[in-house]
Amino acid sequence: MIRQPNSILGNERLLVTMGKKGEIFGYYYPGKDFAQHVEESQACIHDGKGLIWSNAREWVADQKYIDNTNIVSTELTHPSGLKMEILDFVHPTLPVLVRKYKLSSTHSFHGKFFYFSNLQVGEMKKKNSGFCDYDSGLLAQYWKNYYVGITSTPLFEEWQVGKSMDTIWWTNAKFDMEDGELQRNNEDIGNLNCAVGWKLDLEPSKPVEITVFIGAASRRPALYRRMREVLKEPVERIYNDTQEKWIKWLSKKKLLELPDYLGFQEFRLELMKAFNRSILALSILNDPGKGSFLAAPEFDHEFEMSGGYGYCWHRDSAEIVTSLMEAGYPDYCSRFFKWCKGTQLQDGSWFQRYWLDGNTAPSWGNFSYSTQIDETGSTIFAMNSYYQTLDQPVKAEFLDNMWATVLCAAEYLMRRTSSGIHETCLCLWETHSGIFTYTNAAIYAGLIGAANMAIDYNEKGLADRWTERAEFIKRTTIEKFWLDEGYFARGMKDGAYDNAIDASIIGVFVPFNMLSPTDKKEREMIKSIIRNIEKYLRVPVNGHFGIKRYVDDTYIDGNPWVVTTLWLSKALLELALTSDDTDREELSALTHDALKYIQWSLKGATGAGMLPEQVNKYTGRPAWAIPLSWSCALMLDNIMLLDDLQKKLDRD
Amino acid sequence: MVRDLYMFSKVDPEADVVWFKINYENTLHSEADITAFFADKDLDIRFAYLDSSEDPSKGKYVMFTEAKKGRDIKSIAEELEKKDIVLGLDWGYSKNRVIQSVDFPLHILGDRAVMIRAKTFVNFLNVLNEHVPQSEGLLTIVGLRNGEGAARYLRGVTEMDDSNFLELLKELLMAAGWGILDYDMDVDELKGSARIRESFIAGEYEDSDTPVCGYISGFLAGYISESLGKVVQVRETRCESMGDVLCEHIISPVPEGAKIEHLLRGGSN
Repeated sequence: MIRQPNSILGNERLLVTMGKKGEIFGYYYPGKDFAQHVEESQACIHDGKGLIWSNAREWVADQKYIDNTNIVSTELTHPSGLKMEILDFVHPTLPVLVRKYKLSSTHSFHGKFFYFSNLQVGEMKKKNSGFCDYDSGLLAQYWKNYYVGITSTPLFEEWQVGKSMDTIWWTNAKFDMEDGELQRNNEDIGNLNCAVGWKLDLEPSKPVEITVFIGAASRRPALYRRMREVLKEPVERIYNDTQEKWIKWLSKKKLLELPDYLGFQEFRLELMKAFNRSILALSILNDPGKGSFLAAPEFDHEFEMSGGYGYCWHRDSAEIVTSLMEAGYPDYCSRFFKWCKGTQLQDGSWFQRYWLDGNTAPSWGNFSYSTQIDETGSTIFAMNSYYQTLDQPVKAEFLDNMWATVLCAAEYLMRRTSSGIHETCLCLWETHSGIFTYTNAAIYAGLIGAANMAIDYNEKGLADRWTERAEFIKRTTIEKFWLDEGYFARGMKDGAYDNAIDASIIGVFVPFNMLSPTDKKEREMIKSIIRNIEKYLRVPVNGHFGIKRYVDDTYIDGNPWVVTTLWLSKALLELALTSDDTDREELSALTHDALKYIQWSLKGATGAGMLPEQVNKYTGRPAWAIPLSWSCALMLDNIMLLDDLQKKLDRD
Repeated sequence: MVRDLYMFSKVDPEADVVWFKINYENTLHSEADITAFFADKDLDIRFAYLDSSEDPSKGKYVMFTEAKKGRDIKSIAEELEKKDIVLGLDWGYSKNRVIQSVDFPLHILGDRAVMIRAKTFVNFLNVLNEHVPQSEGLLTIVGLRNGEGAARYLRGVTEMDDSNFLELLKELLMAAGWGILDYDMDVDELKGSARIRESFIAGEYEDSDTPVCGYISGFLAGYISESLGKVVQVRETRCESMGDVLCEHIISPVPEGAKIEHLLRGGSN
C-alpha cells in the first residue's frame, strides 16, 4: 500500500518512516532499503466498549521534530478528553526504535492501552514465526536471519501472537483486541500480527507513561541482548543521549550568516531550520558503511504508480554529497566515491540505480540505448568538485585511488559522444528516449572534471583530449539545440527535434556550468532560459509558483517539483552572486525572486518539515516521495548561496 | 431496504414510458383515488410501488406508466398535483425505456448501497482468489465485518434475541437476493448448520472442487457471533458450485488448543 510519511527517524543502522499520527509506515533493517519489516504498527486505547486507534479520524494531531534532532514529538488529542503524547527516536547506537507514550485524560478513565503490530519480517507475509518469551519480557517475530522484537517499560501485562489473515479469524490479534482481552498465547507461525497490552487507569492530571521498544537484529541472541540493554537504561538517559548526539552532529555544519529579508517575515529562522532539517534527514538516508544514499525512503514497494524510490541514483547522490560537503560534511563524499569505484560497470559507466549495498536495482535501463549517460557525467563532475577541495597529501592519495575510475568513466563518455552530442539514451526523468540538452551538459561537466584531475595526474594528453571534446559538446549543443525563442530544446527524439521546454535545461548552468554567468553573452542566455522556464512551467499553488518538469508532464498529475523549483532559485542566486557590483537593483531582484521560490518549496513541506519531491498542484500539500534527498540537497545549496551572497554584500 | 427499480418495458414499443413519484396524504382511500385518476386518464400502470413505512400519515407512490406518444402529460400532472391528497409530485420520461431510477441514492441497512450483479461480485472473488495470497482469509474477514454490522443494525431497529436472530437473517438474505436460508442451531452449544439454496455466489461460480462461499461463511460467523455475544466459527462443507444441491455452512464454537498447522508434522494423536 502506498503511504507517504510525515517524518522519518533513524540512526546509522535503522530507518523508520512515520505518519502524522505516529503510525509506523516503514521499519528498515539492516539496510535503509531492505528489509522493510512493518506493515502496520501503532497504539490504541480500549475504552471498555471498543478500540480507539491512534490513527482514527477523531484525533487531532500535531507532529514536529524536537529542534536540531531526529526526535519526533507527536501530540494526539481526542474529543473524549484523552491525550496521547508520543516521543519517537531511534537509540543513538542500537537499531532500536523508542516510542515513549504519555497518556492522559481530562476525566477519570479506565480501560486498556494496546500496542499492535502487523510485522512482515524480512518483507515476508508468509512463513514468519512469532513468540512471546514473557519471562524475558520479549515478544519477537522472525524470518530466516531477520528478527524484530518488542519490549516495554513497564513490561506489558498481556499479549497475543495472532494470525493476520486467515479463516481462523478469532486468532487475529487485531480482532481479538476488540473485546479488550488478549489471548496470552506463546507462539504461532504463518502470516502473523501481534499485540501487547496494559491496564490503563487515568485520573485528571495524573498521566501514565509507557515506553515501547522495537528492536531488530540478525540473530536471536543479539536481539535478546539488545532488548535487555535498552531495558537497563533509563528512558530519560536514552533520550538525552540521542538529543546530544544529534546536536553534536549539527555543530559540525557550516555557520551561516543570513539577514532578515525585507518582506519575508521570520524567514531567516525558517531557513536556518530548513538547513538543519535537510542535514539531519540526509544523515539518516545514508548507508554509512557503503556511502550510498536513498533517493527517498521506499513507499511504493509494489511499483504500483512508479518505479520505486528506495534506491541509490548517481544523479541524485552526486548532488547530495557535494551539497553536504559544502555544508560541512565532506566525509560523505569520500565514502560515496569509494562506493562509486566499486559499482562502476565494466564499460566505465554507472547503472541506472543501485541497492544501497551496491547491487544493481530493478531497472528499465539495461541496454546502452536505455541507460542514462548523465549519471556518469554527474558522478565524475562531483568527484572533481570534491577533489578540488582536498589538501595534500590526501588529494594525491584520493586521485591515486580514483584515477582508474575517472579514466574509465571519461573514456566511456568519449565513446558515446563522437558526434559532439551523446548517443541515444534515457533522459534524466527516465521518461524520454533520445538526445538531451541536460545530458550533454552533464557529460560536458564530467569531461571537464576528468580533465582537471588528469592534469594533476600528469596526463596532459588525456586532459587536452577530454577538454577538447567537452568544448565540442558545448558548441554542438548550442548549435543544434538553442532556439530562436531563447531557450534550449529538450533535445532530439527519433532523429527529430524535441523543442518542448523542460526545466532540466537549466542544467547547462546549474549544476553543470556549461554556460558561464560571467560571460556576457552566456549570461544573457541563462537569463533567457530562466524567463522561458518561468513563462511556460510555473504552476500557481500555495500563494506563489512552483516549477513543473516540462510541458505536458503527466507523471503524478504533472505537479510542480521542489527540485526544479530550487534549481531555478539556485540559478537566480548564482546570477546574483556574479552580478555587477554596481547593479544593486539586479542583485536585489534576483535574490527576491529566489527567496519566493525557496519560500514556496518550504510551504510544500510536511507538517514535520520534510521536503517532498512534488507539491500537489490542487491542494498545495506535499506529494509523492517524502522526503526526497535531492530536494534536501538543493535546499542546502540554496541556503548556502544566500549565505555566500550575504558575505559578499558584507565584504562590499 | 431497496426501493429502487430497474424497468424493462416491452409491452408497447411505440409508447412513452412516463414515471411519477407522488407524495400523498395517507387516508383510507388515497391509493385508490390515485389509481383511479390514472385509469381515468387512460394511462396504463406497468409497474408501481407504495411506501408509507417511515411516516404512517404520509405515503410515496412510485409508478411507471405507458402513454401514447404526444400525450399532454404536463396537464395531467398539473391536474394530479391539485388533488387534495397529493402533497408533492415529480414526474418524467424514461428516455431510453431500459433502466430508470426514481429514488437515488439507494440505502440498505442504514447505509448507502449500490446494486451489482452477482456475476460482478463473483468476478471480484475470482480476481482476488487469483492474485491475492490468503484470499479466503481476506474474504472471511470482510464477510465477518459485514455480518457483525448487519447484526448491530438489526438489533438497533428491531427486537432481536436468541430466538429470532436467525429468522431475521433468513429474511435479510432473501430480501437482499443472497439465497434462501434454512438453519438449525443450538445457541447454547453454539453448534448447528446453515443451509443456503441458490446462493448468489455459488450460482454464478463456475464448477469448483472446493467450496466458494467463504464470504458468506464469514458473514454468518460475524452475524451469529455479534448476535449471541459469543465467538463461533463457520465453515462451508457443501457447496452448489461443487455439485451439491445446496450450500451448507457448519457452525461450531472456536476450537481451543493445538492448531491444525501445528499438527501436520505428526503431532496429532
